[in-house]
Amino acid sequence: MVFTRRDFGRLALAGLSSNALAQTAGKPNRSYINGVQFGLQPFCYHDLAMNRENRPILIQRLVENGLGMVELHAVWYEPNFAGPGVSAEEAREKLRNWRLNPPAGYFRDIKKEFDDTGITICTVYINVGDSFTDAEIDATFEGAKALGAKGIVGSYGLAVAHRLGAFPGKHGMYASLHNHDNLSDPDAFSNEASIVKGLAYSPDFTATLDVRHFTAGNGDCLGFLERHHARVSAVHLGDRRKNNGRSTPFGEGDAPIIEILRLIRDNQWPMIALLEFEHGTLRTGVDEVQLMFDYCKRALA
Amino acid sequence: MPHRQNLYVLFCGVILAAIASAQATARPGYDINYIGPPMADPVMQHSKETYVLFGCSYCHGLYLVARGEATDLMHSRLVGSDENGNVIGPLLRRGIPQTAKLSPMPQFSDLSDAQIADLVRWIHYARQQGRFKEVMEAKDAGAGNAAAGKAYFEQKCGTCHATADVARIAKKYDAAALKAQILKPRALEASPSWRLERLKDAKTAAARQRHGALLENYSGAEVANLIVYLQGMK
Repeated sequence: MVFTRRDFGRLALAGLSSNALAQTAGKPNRSYINGVQFGLQPFCYHDLAMNRENRPILIQRLVENGLGMVELHAVWYEPNFAGPGVSAEEAREKLRNWRLNPPAGYFRDIKKEFDDTGITICTVYINVGDSFTDAEIDATFEGAKALGAKGIVGSYGLAVAHRLGAFPGKHGMYASLHNHDNLSDPDAFSNEASIVKGLAYSPDFTATLDVRHFTAGNGDCLGFLERHHARVSAVHLGDRRKNNGRSTPFGEGDAPIIEILRLIRDNQWPMIALLEFEHGTLRTGVDEVQLMFDYCKRALA
Repeated sequence: MPHRQNLYVLFCGVILAAIASAQATARPGYDINYIGPPMADPVMQHSKETYVLFGCSYCHGLYLVARGEATDLMHSRLVGSDENGNVIGPLLRRGIPQTAKLSPMPQFSDLSDAQIADLVRWIHYARQQGRFKEVMEAKDAGAGNAAAGKAYFEQKCGTCHATADVARIAKKYDAAALKAQILKPRALEASPSWRLERLKDAKTAAARQRHGALLENYSGAEVANLIVYLQGMK
């Protein structure tokens, strides 16, 4: 990744702390294509249950798709305590205890699984919420850090973000705000104003602009990136139609995927393009991800 | 002899491998592990593929086991009240923009009537399969109440079935078989056919639809009540 003095100036002006800047420290890897670092939101493999038992298959599929970076959901490494005879409250309490007391070397071993196959965990996706204690939030950051992640990201709203603001800096990391397209909920990150409001809560916040949802909420992705790129650590790159429209294969919706990629490339913005899809397909997850990735490669050729 | 056995095992293995290979290569890229092998009924197969292709399965689950915050279509009252898409169709076209959920249900405004009919057909089929399994396996339905069963019968079944006919049918089955017969009457479980006399058999089609709708909405307790009532008619 090339990090220019101009970008540094913009980031500094935007008020980002040095912790948040750590996002740019990653080395380009096998899915760094013509100036854009690609990764995957791995719930794209919809034919693969997201749990830690399937993690080896996830890694195998990432390699098969030629991807060297991943935004890892916590469910790929955290145990699931839910099951017959276990109440939701009991399962939640067990998970909290596990987070506070993970087995020794647990995260180091998982990081090695990814390191050994040339995959970097850029961020951990976890929906921090009201049920999290302060100690649990700290433990979440420490776990993510041990995996090599520079930050965490999740689907939380303004209220949770307000509480979360003090945490990432303590761990030398960032927390990223991810938008959906719920324009009716005043707590939701959905449009430019709500994301800007959230970013102001902490210098250690970045935005993970979900291009699909932003488009469905009739947002202007290109304008947003032009105005706020210094605070954007990643984009979730997919396609949807406007007016709360449906998800589509790349190139069939209203999201300006090609233009976004070229903006990132030509301005040398240090943001990660995380492939993501929710449209239906009769193809395997690996085949569909490959189609999306190839579409992006052509856009940058 | 061991040699012959080995040859037999090898032969079977080759045949199985050939079948698996044929399935896997029948349609390049087709996700047979997720979508499953082709169904006997091509119309239903098409409906299932439409449900997958428009992304419904991504949130609501291929067999209506919802993922994340998506509505549970297996138990949704709205789906249970739908008749031939009269509820689901308009909802698909407009979506649910006002919601407390993170991601509102998208609008599928560009769907054709035929595509909506396909989606609706799959949703009801999958729901009926799922509800049948659920009610058959229910352990907490209780012992049943004959009076409640009688009231249910008179309200939901009596308009089509004479009490004497049902009493005669009930005598033929034990409780478990009677339960299955109530949920899915065998007389209505015909293989798909395009023979004109079958296509124009409106009475059977109406009965199938009616029983399908009941199956989608039965509770375990209601079925237990019906069984006790019907068995008491002997």
